[in-house]
Amino acid sequence: MIPAPTRYERATDLDHAFELLAEPDAKAIAGGQSLIPVMKLRIARPSVVVDISRLELRGVEERGGELHIGPLTTWDDLTGVAHPGLEAIAECANGIGDVQVRNLGTVGGSVVHADPASDMPAVLLALGARLHVRSPAGSRELTVAELLLGPFTTSLGPQELVTDVVVPLPAPGSGSAYESVEHPASGFALAGAAALVTPGRETVALTGVSATPFALAAGDPRSAMAEAEIFGDRFASEEYRRELAVVVAERALARARERRGS
Amino acid sequence: MSDVLIGVARPRVDAPDKVTGATRYAADGHVHGLLHARPVLSTEAHARIRGVDKDAALATPGVVAVLLASDLPLATTGTDRTAEPLARAEVVFAGQPVALVVAETEAAAEDGAELVFVDFEPLAAVVDVEAAMEPGAALARMVEETDEEGGDLESIHAGVDHGQADDPQEQLSGNVLDRITRESGDVASAFAASDAVVEGTFRTPWIHQAYIEPQVCTTWLEPSGVLVVSTSTQGSFVTRRELARAFDLPLERIRVIAEPIGGSFGGKLTLVEPLAAGATLALRRPVRLTLTRSEDFQATNPASAQVTQLKIGARKDGTLTAIEGRMIVDRGSNAGWGVEGLTSLLVAGPYRWQAHGIRGYGVQTNRFTFGAYRAPGAPTAAFALESLLDELAQTLELDPIEMRLRNAVVEGDIGVSGNPYPTIGAVEVLERLRDHPLWAERHSLAEDEGIGMAAGHWPGGNEPAAAVCRVDADGTMTVVTSAADMSGVNSGFAVIAAAAFGLSPDKVRIVTADTSSGPYSGASGGSKITYTVGTAVLRAAESAREKVLAAASQELEIAPDDLEVVDGVVSAVGAPDRSITVEELAQKALRFGGRYEPIEGHGGSAQTTGAPSVAAHLSHVRVDRETGEVTLIRHVIAQDVGRALNPALVEGQMRGGVAQGMGWALFEELGHDEDGRLLTGSFLDYAIPTAERVPEIETLIVEVPAPDGPFGAKGIGEAPVVGAPAAIANAVAAAGGTRLYELPMTPPRVWKALRS
Repeated sequence: MIPAPTRYERATDLDHAFELLAEPDAKAIAGGQSLIPVMKLRIARPSVVVDISRLELRGVEERGGELHIGPLTTWDDLTGVAHPGLEAIAECANGIGDVQVRNLGTVGGSVVHADPASDMPAVLLALGARLHVRSPAGSRELTVAELLLGPFTTSLGPQELVTDVVVPLPAPGSGSAYESVEHPASGFALAGAAALVTPGRETVALTGVSATPFALAAGDPRSAMAEAEIFGDRFASEEYRRELAVVVAERALARARERRGS
Repeated sequence: MSDVLIGVARPRVDAPDKVTGATRYAADGHVHGLLHARPVLSTEAHARIRGVDKDAALATPGVVAVLLASDLPLATTGTDRTAEPLARAEVVFAGQPVALVVAETEAAAEDGAELVFVDFEPLAAVVDVEAAMEPGAALARMVEETDEEGGDLESIHAGVDHGQADDPQEQLSGNVLDRITRESGDVASAFAASDAVVEGTFRTPWIHQAYIEPQVCTTWLEPSGVLVVSTSTQGSFVTRRELARAFDLPLERIRVIAEPIGGSFGGKLTLVEPLAAGATLALRRPVRLTLTRSEDFQATNPASAQVTQLKIGARKDGTLTAIEGRMIVDRGSNAGWGVEGLTSLLVAGPYRWQAHGIRGYGVQTNRFTFGAYRAPGAPTAAFALESLLDELAQTLELDPIEMRLRNAVVEGDIGVSGNPYPTIGAVEVLERLRDHPLWAERHSLAEDEGIGMAAGHWPGGNEPAAAVCRVDADGTMTVVTSAADMSGVNSGFAVIAAAAFGLSPDKVRIVTADTSSGPYSGASGGSKITYTVGTAVLRAAESAREKVLAAASQELEIAPDDLEVVDGVVSAVGAPDRSITVEELAQKALRFGGRYEPIEGHGGSAQTTGAPSVAAHLSHVRVDRETGEVTLIRHVIAQDVGRALNPALVEGQMRGGVAQGMGWALFEELGHDEDGRLLTGSFLDYAIPTAERVPEIETLIVEVPAPDGPFGAKGIGEAPVVGAPAAIANAVAAAGGTRLYELPMTPPRVWKALRS
């Protein structure tokens, strides 16, 4: 439980971070709640750990009809998000890990870790969030679906960092919710569902049941799930997970509907 | 001797140090020149070792040695974990230690350990315990077990006979290491004369003790050559004996210090000590081995998986007739002992049967090394029996508690062991539960909720023990024992000594001595310490009291029989103004030219009667029919504790037992892949009950004094876990209308059962 030998560098600004990340097998670290455990297991063996936690990328700001969430914003910070229609963000953040994890873990670090059972990507998918990404080569904008390629795999290049998580503010009279059934040991979602209900539309995204979180096709969750590719494991079979996904999707939708206009 | 001090809730004597962080555990001591060891664990469940490449590890900066079995000065040829702490030629489970990397720092040891390459020749892995029994099944161990006398680790838990002769007709493979047969009466006729007969096959998985502090041991050699072992262990003397056997050392050349334990529950009885000691003896340097959590999951000795086929019958009025069982215990690689003896005894429960036919099988497989976990073999047995008793009550339309009460054993009834029961509080405990308001609520619950009950018992163990009580010149008393302080036994000793002598408990200090100077004690296990060492403490305090009375008699010129000792003051009975303090008397004794013997006493015990404890449970659950999640809403436990020396500690044991029973019922399971590799090697995969999931647990103390226990007290640590899983299972059956025959009742399993 001691990481393999590595070096530590602290980035003073974004350009410095890019420079440090140029080294082969360099790895950015923010809150360390995903990276440190896999380093201690020696599954991750970065040549250098680039600490980006001091970069000014933390905080939540409402601007131009959108919510801008800095990637270094912690789960605990997110528990304060109270915009009507975006209830799912605080609700989801509140259920992640324990107090220590919520004080250190960041939204950006979690999303790019690409754990297939991570909670917040489902919320970001349901809310239609976009990610601003920068590298020395320039910047681009991605959807969560475009970012997440598979378990622990993203479309980010080695020097690319998420610089902003942008959530469009839903129309008045919207509501959202996050619902999950957790693995009793890890607390990760066996099935998690985020729902956004707006005056014109209902959106559900799922996590924990497939290689990546995904948005469910419109309509009744049960018929939509019939087509989805679901994985099973020793603890929870494919059949059980598929049913669980329907249950959490329906529960999230029901609560999101209740929250409309409240 | 006065018992007004008994039965008062007091803080634990070890609490202030533990709460403030002053306690020093086995991993905390500073030892000059200390080396750190890291084990290399087998990645194969069953294989021959072709060779080990140490070169890269040895080239790692800081690595001092890479030790194999042949490098340790072992005097043994056996295959148990003491005799073979590192695999010699064959590995028999994934996780078995193969090599030990010893380095100047923990980091260097870990760097080196990942560079040790073991060349395995895989052999067929025996992972299905039932298939392993079939004649012709592949064997889980190729090397023949030698006749060498192994350790006697079984007797720590409870003295169990091995039943009657084997059935020569039954053809079984060489993996079946032990067969137990317990038969009496005509089972077939008793079933035929029954009005209802129910049966089922019950499965329980391997379960880890999940102590907070992983296994840890520090060893060094004194300049005199004495091997010192500072370790987290339940038993210092058993550890000394095992190390003497492993390395053929005289007992006086080994000093074992039982350090404060960070949790154990049966699992800490000589696993890491032979590794650390072997390295110290080979390298002549101090060595510490602290298992990581993941190593501890893989390489230690969890509770057996078990398959129990059980059939029971009763007459219309609820009188139990016959019990027939076939109990298969997965011992993993433990050739020395298994729980087939205990579980085949305990499956009868605290009930009378007209006839019984129970068989137990201890089967070797390529999984772990079986070890003890709080009430070994009992929760699995109670899960099967108490589930079927509920079925029987339902079939006969009887109240489940009344049916159990009709059959509950009382003193003198002959048990499945063939021996009469000693004093036992089964009836009292069941009556207490029957009168609880929660039991009356079971027919008026919300949909998807249910209340279940179950009982369980633990026979208790015995082993001779001794203790010393010494009064110092300040009038305080030091009690010396060699019992590892588990489950608060030291706090019980303090009250026993105080009450027996006539002193306030806060004037009593408990010292756990090491094997070089401490009075003898068996390992803390089998719920025997309060009953046996506690009795020795009582007698030691009485002996010290005789010394103080003799001195006071001379000082006051009053016959000892006319004196009493109360709160540190010796006074004439009926004339309290004629008195002298214990402190004054001690000062007169402990000085040059003093005329009185030091106020010290030695006491011993050799208990022969058993002191079983019965606990019964009411469990209230809610089942989510859509997800299969079970929520324990409320739990009530009634237990016969003999006499509660300190009710706060007794209630703590009762709550802890229920919490661990909840783990059996709902969460805990060590799972392997089809090749026998562990899949649940961390707390990310292995679920235990956490504070947020454990509900309010109401404790009902029932006191049926144990005739030979100190102030009527008995061992109470194991009984509370026994019936808890069964009570929760019965509550789930009541809530969901469907019974589960496999633990733990995880959401996927409950969901599946509800759909079928």
